[in-house]
Amino acid sequence: MGRSYIVEEDVEGYLSKLCSQLTGPVTGLLIGQSSVQRDFIVMATRTPQNESADAGKSVDKEWVSEHARQVSRMLPGGLSVLGVFMVSESDAKDTLTTLRQFLFSVENLISSEQLWMPAEDDVKDCVTLHINPKTRKTVCRTFDVKDPKSVAKPADWKYQSGVCSSWATVSCWLNIDLLVPLPGSITCTKPVDDCLKEELKVWAQQIERGVCLIEGKKLPEDSEIKTGQKKNVRQTYTAQLLITPDGQMVPDVVQQCGGSLSVRGAIHSRAFLHSNKPKAKLAEKLLKRDIISTVATRVQMLLEEPQTQTEENKERKQTEQFCLPRRVFCPVKATSPLCVCDYQFSDEGLSEMTDRFKEMLDIEATEADLDITQELIAEVIESDAKAESLTEEAEPPHPWRNNYIGVAMATAVALLASAASMLYLSDA
Amino acid sequence: MVIIDSESAVILRLRGPLELKCQLDSTDVVFMQKAISTAFEALRLQVKSKSCVLAVCDSPLLIWPNKCVYEEISPETPCEDIFQWIQTNDQESGGKRTTKKKNRKCFSASVLNFSLMTEVTKPGPLSAPILTKTVQRSHFLCATLQVDCAVCSSCSDPIKDGCGRLLEALTRQLFEMEKVFLQHMRGTMVLVPEPLHFLLPEPNGLVTVVFPRDLPDKELEAQRRELHKQFELPDDKPYFRRANTFHFPNEPYKDGYLRNPHAVLTHPALDNGKVYLVQGIYSYHHYMQDRMDDNGWGCAYRSLQTICSWFKQQGYVERCVPTHKEIQQALVDVGDKQASFVGSRQWIGSIEVQAVLDQLLGVTSKIMFVSQGSKLASKGRELANHFLSEGTPVMIGGGVLAHTILGVAWSETTGEIRYLILDPHYTGAEDLQVITDKGWCGWKGPDFWDQTAYYNLCLPQRPRVI
Repeated sequence: MGRSYIVEEDVEGYLSKLCSQLTGPVTGLLIGQSSVQRDFIVMATRTPQNESADAGKSVDKEWVSEHARQVSRMLPGGLSVLGVFMVSESDAKDTLTTLRQFLFSVENLISSEQLWMPAEDDVKDCVTLHINPKTRKTVCRTFDVKDPKSVAKPADWKYQSGVCSSWATVSCWLNIDLLVPLPGSITCTKPVDDCLKEELKVWAQQIERGVCLIEGKKLPEDSEIKTGQKKNVRQTYTAQLLITPDGQMVPDVVQQCGGSLSVRGAIHSRAFLHSNKPKAKLAEKLLKRDIISTVATRVQMLLEEPQTQTEENKERKQTEQFCLPRRVFCPVKATSPLCVCDYQFSDEGLSEMTDRFKEMLDIEATEADLDITQELIAEVIESDAKAESLTEEAEPPHPWRNNYIGVAMATAVALLASAASMLYLSDA
Repeated sequence: MVIIDSESAVILRLRGPLELKCQLDSTDVVFMQKAISTAFEALRLQVKSKSCVLAVCDSPLLIWPNKCVYEEISPETPCEDIFQWIQTNDQESGGKRTTKKKNRKCFSASVLNFSLMTEVTKPGPLSAPILTKTVQRSHFLCATLQVDCAVCSSCSDPIKDGCGRLLEALTRQLFEMEKVFLQHMRGTMVLVPEPLHFLLPEPNGLVTVVFPRDLPDKELEAQRRELHKQFELPDDKPYFRRANTFHFPNEPYKDGYLRNPHAVLTHPALDNGKVYLVQGIYSYHHYMQDRMDDNGWGCAYRSLQTICSWFKQQGYVERCVPTHKEIQQALVDVGDKQASFVGSRQWIGSIEVQAVLDQLLGVTSKIMFVSQGSKLASKGRELANHFLSEGTPVMIGGGVLAHTILGVAWSETTGEIRYLILDPHYTGAEDLQVITDKGWCGWKGPDFWDQTAYYNLCLPQRPRVI
């Protein structure tokens, strides 16, 4: 029994348009959400032109994969690249082989960037779609992308209206406060990027283990987020996340370092679920993945920027601050709660955002369509970073009170008189 | 001694890991201390902030104490009502309790466990993150502080008061941890502080002390002396060794042995009689445990193991409870037995028990000889005095059997006597219900003994140390 793809009507129009263009074969990505029972495709986007490639040369899989990687960063939780399509007159069998190659390359590249753990119940099938522009014949096949030997399986491809309309949204704003040492001793040659990435992995595990509340409640796994809601009311839910550090993970040490890196601030996270009784467990999984991805993506983007590489002057203390780009949302369609997103650096304007939405996702958006209200642009403080305080108003410490009933409670401190064996990492 | 039934109290316990991370700017000690103090101050602010969450363990209850948000309950809910929300397995260290005791004895059943969490979500919109890079040759400290606070509360106290006290205790503990941390810093070497709870005799009660985690007991003697002075405790009995830490009632013991099964028994009420019991904690050792089939010959060995477990758990020795082989080897080492004794199934008696206690634990014991079982009834005063001054379990061997005496109920005026017996001949599982129902741990009358056989009792003497 093959998979069944329910596809937004607009996608049919989009693919049709691509068919009627007379240029050579066109490839692109299919975006949506997969679940155990059904798969939904909400949009399609063609692979952008490769300016540097020779004209007439067929699209190569590196280019398609790179496009997919960038698009994947622009998709909030719940939406992902589900497959690739090709509009071409070539034989279906040849196209299938090419599409299969593209598909595996795309999935490998996207999953190599993921910091979250894959789950048992994740759907492992992705779709390839081939449309012959002359005959309009559509061939839809799926492959298990975790199995390099998998064969094509037939799948249903059905267009329907309103696929983009009935989605539930779960979102939150989340504080992040990371501090990681920079390698400093001569023996340690780990680059800065790796230190930060390792810390992000630890942080990602904390997030995955965290307790997730939806609308203030911890719901049992199989329950739905909310029942009794009218179908046409926009379903938006606020989530909360509670975490604890893992006591076992980090050994207690004092180590030599060449400095430190801190990431402090907040992010807005959003995940979409195709509603028709959205399950709490799925909402939690998708939101957590979005939280992890949005932070990892921004850190990655910042590290890729040239100005973060600095010269090291070993004697003086140098402090530099860089703003992570902020998240900006753009609706997929006017009548839909679905959004895609992008990241705006402080030196970029909104026009650059709309350009990117057009180039990557083939979305025509105006500056007015963009939602820039979810995150504020961070302000870099010139003085020491410690001046920036994330904690709220705190009362001064209470004077010690002794008002216990029955049994008195006292505390004491042990004083050490002699030197003792200590816990440390030697400098050597 | 005697367990006093005080007013219904509940212990609120809060635990959780807190990360201490900071860059230590220079090797100048003052600057380093300042950096560490700042890091501790940040933790204290976190505890007072609106993002601090107390989760009631094994329940859906969540409390934001600094925001006065109480999920599912109200701030005025009395502490005892919180127990209704807790989903438990109803199993206690391997043994099943099918009957719940209705009246809660102080410290016998009521512990409310909380775990410390941080909410990382906040209402927005908020500022996007900033990455700060500080380049400087320096040091970096990364440590995990395991905080552990316990406060006593009355069952009818509203939960918000309990939470308030827990947070105060937590703030104080962080101050103390900072103090211990800074005191033991030598250059880049640090000792991580660890909170431990001790149950002291009235009026002190449950007390929390912060010790450096990796220092063994023998290096903390000066601190213990100071604490004994502070709490006016006798200076010949340990209260603050690591083995003395308070064992919270609903925590299972990892080794699977039952502790103090006699505690659930109703003690006999004799005319003008008093009950004199073992003082402290022992483990119940009996036939067939540890995959050792000693059925029929190992009873004295098991009684000896019970006694050794008492010395370990009171903090007098660090040595683990010896195996049958180790006991036999000790007897060979002192010249009491031939080498072929090791691995055999030969019985031992009180004299051997005394020898092994001396050899392996450095503990001396008195031997009491009773020429006939019927004469044991007249040993009430001596046994009462033993439990008063030593408080150790007593091994008794005679006829063909060995037992452990955990206490006596004795009336000075009528001479009536009962013996609290722990029987090592039990071969079943660690089921508290069965063990107490069937009398494997229970009160026996003078007719329990073989009236004509002679008996030797080994009465271990506790060392006078702290």
